[in-house]
Amino acid sequence: MSLMRQVWLLVLGVVLASLLGAVAVSTVSTRQLLQTQLQIKNSDNAAALALALSQQRGDAELMQLLISAQFDTGYYESVAWRQPDGKLAFERRAPARASQAPAWFVALSPITVQPGVAQLSNGWNAIGSVEVLSHSAYAHDELWRSVTRMSALLLGLGALASLGAYLALHRIRRPLDNAVAQARGLMEGQFAQMELPHVPELQRLTEAMNAMVARVKLMFEAQGEQLQALRLQAHCDALTGMSMRKHFLAELESALTRDEGPARGGLVLLRLRDLALLNQRLGRPAVDQTLLTLSRAVKAYPDRVRGCLAGRLNGSDFALWLPAPDVAAETAQALADALRLSLPAFGPGIQVSLGAVDLPRESLLGQWFAEADKVLARAETQAGFVVEFHRGAAPAEAGKASSSTGAQGEQAWRAQILDALKERRARLSQFPLLDREGRLLHLECPLQLQLEADGSFEPATRWLPLAVRSRLTAEVDLLAVSLALEAINRDGQARCVNIAPASLLDGGFVARVREQVFQAPQAARKLGLELAETAAVQHFDLLLEMGRQLRPLGVKLGLEHAGAGLAQVDRLYQAGLDYVKLDASVVSGVSGDAARAAFVRGMLVMLRSLALKVYAEGLRDGMDVQALWDCEVDGVTGPWATAQGGKA
Amino acid sequence: MRSWLAGSVLALALIGAQALWPELAQALDRNKVMESAARFGPRTAGEAEQLLQMIDRAATVEELPRLSLVNNFVNKHLVFRDDSEVWGRIDYWATPLESLDKGRGDCEDYAIAKYFSLLNAGTPVAKLRMVYVRAQLGGRSLAHMVLAYYAEPGAEPLILDNLVPELRPASQRPDLQPVFSFNGEGLWQGVGATSAGDPLARLSLWRDLLSKARAEGF
Repeated sequence: MSLMRQVWLLVLGVVLASLLGAVAVSTVSTRQLLQTQLQIKNSDNAAALALALSQQRGDAELMQLLISAQFDTGYYESVAWRQPDGKLAFERRAPARASQAPAWFVALSPITVQPGVAQLSNGWNAIGSVEVLSHSAYAHDELWRSVTRMSALLLGLGALASLGAYLALHRIRRPLDNAVAQARGLMEGQFAQMELPHVPELQRLTEAMNAMVARVKLMFEAQGEQLQALRLQAHCDALTGMSMRKHFLAELESALTRDEGPARGGLVLLRLRDLALLNQRLGRPAVDQTLLTLSRAVKAYPDRVRGCLAGRLNGSDFALWLPAPDVAAETAQALADALRLSLPAFGPGIQVSLGAVDLPRESLLGQWFAEADKVLARAETQAGFVVEFHRGAAPAEAGKASSSTGAQGEQAWRAQILDALKERRARLSQFPLLDREGRLLHLECPLQLQLEADGSFEPATRWLPLAVRSRLTAEVDLLAVSLALEAINRDGQARCVNIAPASLLDGGFVARVREQVFQAPQAARKLGLELAETAAVQHFDLLLEMGRQLRPLGVKLGLEHAGAGLAQVDRLYQAGLDYVKLDASVVSGVSGDAARAAFVRGMLVMLRSLALKVYAEGLRDGMDVQALWDCEVDGVTGPWATAQGGKA
Repeated sequence: MRSWLAGSVLALALIGAQALWPELAQALDRNKVMESAARFGPRTAGEAEQLLQMIDRAATVEELPRLSLVNNFVNKHLVFRDDSEVWGRIDYWATPLESLDKGRGDCEDYAIAKYFSLLNAGTPVAKLRMVYVRAQLGGRSLAHMVLAYYAEPGAEPLILDNLVPELRPASQRPDLQPVFSFNGEGLWQGVGATSAGDPLARLSLWRDLLSKARAEGF
């Protein structure tokens, strides 16, 4: 029984007991009083009547007349004159009146009254005695009335007292509930401050709780700041604050291999020419200013456009990746124009060469740089702020697909995807996520669609951008969930499927997933749903709601491709997640770079403190994996793990 | 004695208020009597000793000799004095032991002592009555109280009095004119087990007296 209920019952018990006690005591004493009064009345009236009768000199008629007069004018049940030998000389008697009080009450509180007796005499002669008995029913009536009145009054008082107790308890209860909610919230990572209650003891409790919550929050924030510093140190160039080469490459790799994204992208390389010469001529400070201006111009893009990547590759080279087709040339030209206006202010002889390429996104990293370097070299052969551009064709196979893509048009795509969904021409590919001992934790299962009947199953890279544009992601994701549930039911293996952030925007999506999950409660416990980090940044509330709906059913919820963006999620601790997968851009290359490893370690500490599992994704290199085990991640996935899984 | 007639009407009205008393069917408690007497003093204890001996003796004889025995004992052991002189009050009904302790008493104190002595010697209460009388003494009218003994119900009573010490039938007492009589009969049948502590008991002189006498062992 809850503490509040115990106290409440106790109060109620005390109130009831005192109420019953008061009624009982009052009843007993009232009964006693009534009984005594009745007895005294009988006796006194008998004495008074005897006094009068004794003065009649034994005249029986006169005495009977007196007795009748007394009887008729008073409230008597009987008045009797008994002769000395005990025989009845004269009697007046009325039937005893029944009481109006209930019979059980009369039985419970009997009022027994003896007749009043007094001796009669005529001169020296004793002529018997007189017995007077009053009606007693009215005493019960009065007693009953007083008991009911008393009960009503006390019941009213009891109700008032109960109300008072209820209010007082309520006053105590609210701060207690608040404290519990606060503690529970803290466990889930919410740092709520509670209003101070008016009860002093609870006030101290609340103060202590508030102080503790504030301190924990402070600790989290300090940790976050430290992490941010580590990240800058590991990933960013000290002068310009842009991503360093290694990090830029890792980011770009991750962006290129991601399911979601445009079919084509653009890469712009910028080179401040003759850096060594400039250093000599203008001096380091001026050159640094030049580099800063240059970097600011480049950084404007990633700051404004999500998905844009920028980095400083070395002393003089900058790179800008644009996640959109057919913008590289314009962007490079715009940059060149801007720089041509601003840079000469720092000194004569400053020149920037720009090379821009536009390639299919699935092109390999090496291809991107090879093409870009080629055009940059071309630009360098010319003086001034020159832009050279190359639009690369897609690799042979992909080229065919993308050309057909263009030809088909959006409507046809939409129809194809819808058909595939309707006929469930889809399958889940499987990539293992392994723990340190090589055990399979779960399978990552990206969906593949067979867009053309009898065609090949195509990965999400091909159709997801179109599905996003056609607003079909919710349907696609639902299919993936249902396939995963079926597969889990078959082999009992835990599986994760990707959910597109766009699906969250579909109002009915979460409810429909919930419905599916309800159908397969066993499998649901082994199902994981993961969303890209951007979902947490852009649709935090939707993510929260999804967790609230699905996690109670056993479904795990995770973030994938998590990196620097996590720092932007102010309330990550509230998100209600089970795990986080660190993006390849964060985890690749940790083996050779202490700063990167330190950042990963920092993220692990922070995420662990939020009770999250942390996995690393996109790992190719066994050395990196070893370094991550040393950082104590919970699991890894990617080509390396797939190869291991294959071996196992 | 002078003004008690008015007061005694009130007292009479209160006589009836005795319903809560316990039964007086108990025997004489000698130990209690002696204990109570010892509290008054050694002289009183001696008086009480004599009283008890007299009662014992009276219990063994016929009713008439018993009446004389009691009547003479009480008349001999008490000297007539007004309540105001003995007790400093206008009217006070003393118990037998109180009267013996003082050695003095007025008319009702005589009657009371005789009443309790006879009761304890075995005389039924129905045969005894305390009687308010108007007495002619030397041409004066006096409010007075005597004890009347009725050998049979309705018969002529014998009068135990202190004005005329010897036992006489009522017809030989033309100086006495009866007004009202009472006894403890019918008063003891009541509810309540105790009475001494009942404040109601103190409202009636007669009842108060009965409680006190009982507490002393009579």
